Amino acid sequence: MTETRTTLREHEAELVVASVTAVADGVRELRLADVSGSGLPPWTPGAHVDLVLGELVRQYSLCGDPTDATSYTVAVLREPESRGGSVFVHEQLAEGAKVTVRGPRNHFPLVSADSYRFVAGGIGITPLLPMIAEADASGADWHLTYGGRTRGSMAYTDHLAGYGERVTFAPADEVGLLDLATILASPGPRTLVYCCGPEPLLAAIESVCEQGWPSDALHLERFAAKVSDAPVDAERAFELVLAGSGVTLQVPPDKSVFDMIQDAGISVLGSCHEGICGTCEQAVLEGEVDHRDSVLNESEQAANDAMMVCVSRCLSDRLVLDL
Amino acid sequence: MTTVNRTSTAAVPTDCWYALTTSAEVDRHLLAVRAVGGPVLLFRTQDGAVVALEDRCAHRAYPLSAGTLDGDQVRCGLCGFVYDADGQCVSVPTQPRVPLGAHVASYPTRERDGLVWVWLGEAGRARLHRVPGLPWLTDAGWATVGGTVPIDAGFLLLHENFADVTQIRFVAPEIAPAALAGAPPPLEVVVTETTVELSRTFPSSPLPPWQAEMLGIGAAEGETVQRGFFTSPALWTDHWDVDHGAGTARLRFTQLVTPFDERRSRLHWRVSRDFAIDDPGAGDRMHAMFGDYYARVQAAMETAQAVLDTDGPGPEVNVAADVAALRVRDIVRGMLAEEGVALARQHLGT
Repeated sequence: MTETRTTLREHEAELVVASVTAVADGVRELRLADVSGSGLPPWTPGAHVDLVLGELVRQYSLCGDPTDATSYTVAVLREPESRGGSVFVHEQLAEGAKVTVRGPRNHFPLVSADSYRFVAGGIGITPLLPMIAEADASGADWHLTYGGRTRGSMAYTDHLAGYGERVTFAPADEVGLLDLATILASPGPRTLVYCCGPEPLLAAIESVCEQGWPSDALHLERFAAKVSDAPVDAERAFELVLAGSGVTLQVPPDKSVFDMIQDAGISVLGSCHEGICGTCEQAVLEGEVDHRDSVLNESEQAANDAMMVCVSRCLSDRLVLDL
Repeated sequence: MTTVNRTSTAAVPTDCWYALTTSAEVDRHLLAVRAVGGPVLLFRTQDGAVVALEDRCAHRAYPLSAGTLDGDQVRCGLCGFVYDADGQCVSVPTQPRVPLGAHVASYPTRERDGLVWVWLGEAGRARLHRVPGLPWLTDAGWATVGGTVPIDAGFLLLHENFADVTQIRFVAPEIAPAALAGAPPPLEVVVTETTVELSRTFPSSPLPPWQAEMLGIGAAEGETVQRGFFTSPALWTDHWDVDHGAGTARLRFTQLVTPFDERRSRLHWRVSRDFAIDDPGAGDRMHAMFGDYYARVQAAMETAQAVLDTDGPGPEVNVAADVAALRVRDIVRGMLAEEGVALARQHLGT
């Protein structure tokens, strides 16, 4: 009997840059249009896509209208110290350029609530924009505090000003650092906090929310891997069992679980390979996970039932995945 | 977070467009349909717009559908409360002032492709979600037959059945295409945040006799491309395209699922063909064949649900081909999480 293979992959399409707009100092908005006529997959607030930028693949939040089946909108901050993704976007993706787009996927979904506190730092406003539109449409109580270096560096301020008092602009050169303790002073019972921005903001907001906020109230998305202070075990070998495939492997210290699964010929999704995007998440059936990702929060990690296989490893001798 | 009971609707997504009925069935009369979590009243205003209201008077337990439609207002057949098309009570017979809270839920509606889609979740979110397009249901180059089957099984069981094409061989061996008889070819599964698409290309095999006859091409072989699409809990579609040498014969199976609760659903099924479209005999034959097929699906799904009801969820072993169905479960779990319902992995779909 011939071997039949099942392959799993994400949706991929070649889109065309329909327009490029400077929406703030160093921030370009790109509208990426479908030219195949088959329409683009739907998405919900918090979703992102991969853009294939030459040799690099980078994730960008979708910040346009979720009901638009003909184009996706992303906004990219030029970061000269980055590995070159944003520079590629700013220098190579002009109107008419083609770009391969993978996804969408969403590891930052907007959970239904009566009340929201949105906190954005700089380009972190992008995933929050469609969330704000949805919170507003659903009649929830919400407030956005939007910080950035200068007002000129902050994108979409005109659009957000239309929401009136629900939005507080807090450029650093006018008001200094965001006063998170005040912004998040009164935890409500059905209030969720959504935050995106640079790592110092995320670390600070995690710290503030530890005091007085329920553990599942804070939702945040990292655009860069967390740098962990905790000592990391020297890489160790362990046994990997893929329960659904009936395969047992030995993972050497220098190979990731993701690589082992791929080498075994089993379909597995992955994108950033840094433990930030959440694409490679797999269900864990057995074994003590050595979490090294920036996606799962403390209680999710403690539950030990899921892991990001691109970076995380195993503290015990045997790891069993439902794959 | 909501606790899940056996026949609760907590494990059914409501932030989703569901196709409750056809445009043809909604007119200047009161139509009652069941949907997620409760009864829905449908009617058309004098302008032709479709109205969907909670089918239960705010005053006492009585269906508004048992009342009367007067202009664009509905009067309860028991107590005489009158409601406008927004569900607001505008008059009561026994006093001049309408009491506070005298309103029934009003649900956003859309019409598309001859279907009436209703949003039963948070109303403000409806306009942020697309209504699926099913052009073959009304396009001139296609003929469609269909029916409706109530199924005592949860919506997720139905989608998992649709996601596994090879089940057709076992559920309905007489109509299963010859293409399914051999070892299944490689399965490709493509996922996005909210959708799953699966496809297989079957090597050349004999056409089913009924199809060859309708095409008027005698015994023929063709390569079949099968694609399945999970669009939302409300919709699974299948494409079966056979390249038979003298052209391509296309079939579209549209499966519109309306969950009532975790363990009961309604299935509107449609089979559309782009060949023999003007042949009423072909239509009758398709209707009989696939009516029988969906009756078998109903029986199999109800049997599966009965196992879950009697003995509860059990451990499951997965094969590689289950990846599409498992991704559907992930998507539904994500939808429920967004709606504020937390479920342990192993309890989902059971």
